[in-house]
This record gives sequence, structure tokens and C-alpha cells, in this order.
Amino acid sequence: MNWIAKSVLWAVLLLIVVFYPHLFGLYFTNIFVVFAIFALFAVSFNMLLGYTGLLSFGHTMFFGVGAYATAIALERIEGLPLLPAVLIGLLAAIALAIILCPLLVRVSGVAFSMLTLAFGQLMHVLAMKLRWLTGGEDGIGGFPIPSLNIPGIVSIDISDPIQFYYFAMVVLAGCIWVIWFLTKTPFGSIQVGIRDNAVRVDYLGFKVPQSKAVIIILSSGFAGVAGSIYALFQNLISADDAFHVFHSFVPVIMTVIGGMGSFFGPIIGSGILSIIDEVTSRYTERVDLVTGLILILVIMFAPGGVAGLFGDIRKRWFRKETDKAAMEENS
Amino acid sequence: MDPTTAMYVAQGINGLSYGMVLFLVASGLTLIFGMMGILNIAHASFFMLGAYFCFQVVSMTGNFWIALLLAPIAAGFLGVLCERFLLRRAHALGHVGELILTVGVAMVILECIKIFWGTESLPITVPPILQGLSKIGGLEYPTYRFFIIGLAFVILSIMALLLYKTRLGMIVRAAVSDADMVGALGVNVPVVFMLVFGVGTWLAGVGGVAVAPILTVYPGLADQIGMDAFVVVVTAGFGSLKGAFIVSIIFGFLNAYGIQFVSQLAPVLMFSFMAVVLAFKPAGFFGEIES
Repeated sequence: MNWIAKSVLWAVLLLIVVFYPHLFGLYFTNIFVVFAIFALFAVSFNMLLGYTGLLSFGHTMFFGVGAYATAIALERIEGLPLLPAVLIGLLAAIALAIILCPLLVRVSGVAFSMLTLAFGQLMHVLAMKLRWLTGGEDGIGGFPIPSLNIPGIVSIDISDPIQFYYFAMVVLAGCIWVIWFLTKTPFGSIQVGIRDNAVRVDYLGFKVPQSKAVIIILSSGFAGVAGSIYALFQNLISADDAFHVFHSFVPVIMTVIGGMGSFFGPIIGSGILSIIDEVTSRYTERVDLVTGLILILVIMFAPGGVAGLFGDIRKRWFRKETDKAAMEENS
Repeated sequence: MDPTTAMYVAQGINGLSYGMVLFLVASGLTLIFGMMGILNIAHASFFMLGAYFCFQVVSMTGNFWIALLLAPIAAGFLGVLCERFLLRRAHALGHVGELILTVGVAMVILECIKIFWGTESLPITVPPILQGLSKIGGLEYPTYRFFIIGLAFVILSIMALLLYKTRLGMIVRAAVSDADMVGALGVNVPVVFMLVFGVGTWLAGVGGVAVAPILTVYPGLADQIGMDAFVVVVTAGFGSLKGAFIVSIIFGFLNAYGIQFVSQLAPVLMFSFMAVVLAFKPAGFFGEIES
């Protein structure tokens, strides 16, 4: 694709996002907000899986901590403005990541998955048991949601779903853009290097454990933002919503269905999962059955996910060009 | 015996029986991991399937002993099917693909259970001979706890004999340390894999039947014991049977006495134990550090 086609595509996408609430109405707007929240969650997860090769089964703990931190802050501190509340969610997730990092960077592969799974469970237990702080199983609900006020720039009341939509889109898309930008920096290349050959990265003079720690902290921070927006959107956060182990599998499933190797894979996966959820829940309560079956089918028959399928199709259609490019590369 | 000691002993028996069940589940998990390099997230689902099959057989025949025989076999058979038709084909995708595949299997099993049996908890009555209390040292303890300890002990002894005293066991142990080399020596490794997967899920099924009368059968069963079994395997070191046994028993006691002394935070104890072990030995208690 040349740059004209690319910029036209982005312009069309931007127009759709801007006019979406007016085109599709309130119901689908809310679905779109949830989609975008999970897209950020999945993209932050893919920083670990796709770019660094670390499969986390407890990524939801950062999401949950972000959500709880925002909810608790808004409940306890009177008159807390909106952006500091989101910032508290971000910082809480980062703080948790900093605490866990010394343990997490020492392991890789399956041990990393199990360790994150266990810590995720630990957070679930804590959220259930520390009733005075988290409200136990019922969670925290009905906390006040302040309106967004930056003097001289904007002043919107986000309890209106349409206004909330725009607020959420700016924050979420901003975060996703930052992650995309990070993957293009030299640091992003080190990430991929750690995934492909950690020993070599070490010999090149980069500190592998410290780099991993930075990636984990960044990735958790973005998951925390996603959680924070989620708490604001639902005006409710409960232990099962925040920390349940199946909630940890959500970004895994999205990333695998969308395509692990691609930056936009998790976003596509989040979209597909929203559609599956919306369509199947009209016919049956057992949405997870359909999701699980699709997950199995994707792993068995399309391991590259939807993004991988697109890649295959593109190769087949534009074979001449790719052949030529390959020849140029070889010569 | 004075009442305080009696309480300690009773909790100890509870802990031991829980530890034994935990080891039934964890042993299959760690064997499968050691051989095939995959951590089977769906393992606890087979455990839960064992419990549900037990409920089904008991409600159809009214006989717990038939259920004890048949339910684990059914769970093991499903495990074999899962290995043969799903995992083996996904082998080329590497460990991440296989791990995520088992997540999908776990989701499908859970939802199927909800469709067939609903979401309520289902009670199972045990035969009269296992009901009631038995007297030891002038004090009474639930007979069923002793039954669980005995059952697990017998099964695990048989498994240990098979694993360490027969030719097949030797092949399995060799495949745990280097499957490729065993294949090169002319052993049909995929069949051995299938067998171990079947036996592993069968063991999980036995565990499911054993706890079904105590915990009742409900769809959250897999979460409860499954997570504990994963923690056992991680703490003990992947692929280490001896380690899994020791850690299972430790966790059993930790759980029982934890509930007695710090009931609110008992589940946290296990995770803290794991975190401490991994902080000093990232490969686990008995794990070897992969180079």
C-alpha cells in the first residue's frame, strides 16, 4: 500500500469513529466503548506476548488494579477531578508491576505464564477478602463520576454516554498510538530481539532483565488505564469483573484470534469478540462455548489469526509484487 | 487426648486428605508437562468432568463403587481424544499455541457441563460403609477422609511401581527428560504421549470422584482445585513428581491449618509460599534450571 491509500484509509477510519454515535445510536455506541477498552487491554497484553514473547495469564490483575484504584479514589476523595482519577489507576497498575517485576523477569516461558496466573489469583483472593477496601464480592459501585474540566480547553459532562464515548476514544486511541509508537523505537526492536534470541541481545550489551521489567511496567500501565476507563464506564467494579481468571484469558483469546504477530491483530480480535458476543447472546446464554470453539478452530487451522489470514490472501493476490520484492531482497 | 491436640490432629487429617487429592491432580499435570512441554490448562476441567460423571453414574445406578470405576475412565478417554485430535495436531505451533488450545478446551468443557448439568451444586451420597465417623485413639474422625487418603495412597503406589519398576515406566521417564532421543531409539513417542495424557487425565478424574461427595459438584470446582494444582506444579518445579508430592502435602497442611488460624487469608498463604520459593529458586523446589 502506498501512502495515499494509507492516509485515505486512516481518514475514513477517523470519520467513522467521529460520527459513529450519530450513525448507530446509543446501544451500539456503548458496545463500541467496551470494544475499545478491551482493544487497549489486548494491545497492552500483546506488547508482552507478540513483541516480547511473554505469555501472561494474569494480565487482568493490572486491569483490575487500575479499575479498583480509580473507583476507590473517586469514592474516598471528595471532588477528585477526572484525569487525576485515571492517573491514579495508571500509577496503581505501575506500582503493582514494579512490586512483581523482580520475580517476573527471572522466569520465562511457561513458568512466566503460571507465575502471572498465580499472582492474578492472589489479587482475586485479596479483592474478595479485603472487604473494607474493595467491598468484597459486591465490589464498588455508584461512586461519583466527575465531569472533565480543563479550564479554557474543554468542559464536558461524561455522564452523558455520547460525551463519554468521545472522552474514552481520545484516551484509548491515544494510548494505543503511544504503544504503536513505542514498537517503532529502538527500544521496540530490543523487545523483538528478546523474543527471538535473548542471549544474543544480552551479548549485544543490552540488559535483558531490566528491559523486560520496563516492558512489563509499561504494558501494565496501559492495562491499568483500560481498567480505569472500564470502571468509569460501568460505574461499578467487582472482584470477578476485575480479577477472574477467565478475564485474564480475554486478551489472550483476542490476540490469538486477531493474530499474534501483528500490532493490529489484538484490535481486530477485540472487534471479532464483540461481534460474537453481541450476535450469540441473542440466541444462547453459552457465549463462552462459541468463543472457545472459535479459539480452538483458529489455533488448529489459522494459527496466524485473522491478521495472518489477511496476510496470506494478500500474498496470493499480489504474488507478482512479492516475488519481485523477494528477488530484490535476495540479489 | 485433650481437645486442642484432637483439633490439631483432625485438621491434620483434613490437610493430608486434601494434599493427597491435590497430588492426584498435580501428578498428572506435572507428568504431562515433563513429557510434552505443555501445561494443560484444561487439566482441572477433566478433574471436574470426573466429579460430574460420578454424579451421573451414581444417580443412574445408585452405586458409588461403579462410579469410582467408570467416571475416571470416561474422563481419561476424553483426555485421550483431546490429545489425539487436538493437541497432537497443534504440536507444530509450539508451546504457546498448545497452551492457548488447552484454554479453549477448558472453556468448551465448562460450558458443556453447564449445558448438560446446569449450574447448581449437585450432592452425592456415599455408600453407608464410608459414612459416619471412625474411632482412632479414642476420638472420632470422618471415615470418608481416611478413605480418600487410602485410595490416593493405593493408586499412587501402583503408579509409582509402574513408573519406576516396569519397562514402560522407564520409557515414560526417558521421554520426560528427552522425548526426541527416545523417538530416535525407535519408540513410538506419540503413542506414549497419548497414554500418559490418558493416565494423567484419569488420575485427575479419580481426584474428581474422590472430592465429589465432600465439596458437592458445581461448575466452580475446576477453579478451586485446578489453581492449587498449578501452584503445586510451579512451586515444585515442572516435571518433578517427587517435588509435586512433597509440595502437595505441604499445601494440604498449609490449607487446613491456615483455615484454622488465619481463616480469611488462608488462600494467600499458598501463593506467598510459592512467591518465596520462586524468589530464591526460579525453577521451583526440585526443578532444574533450563540452560
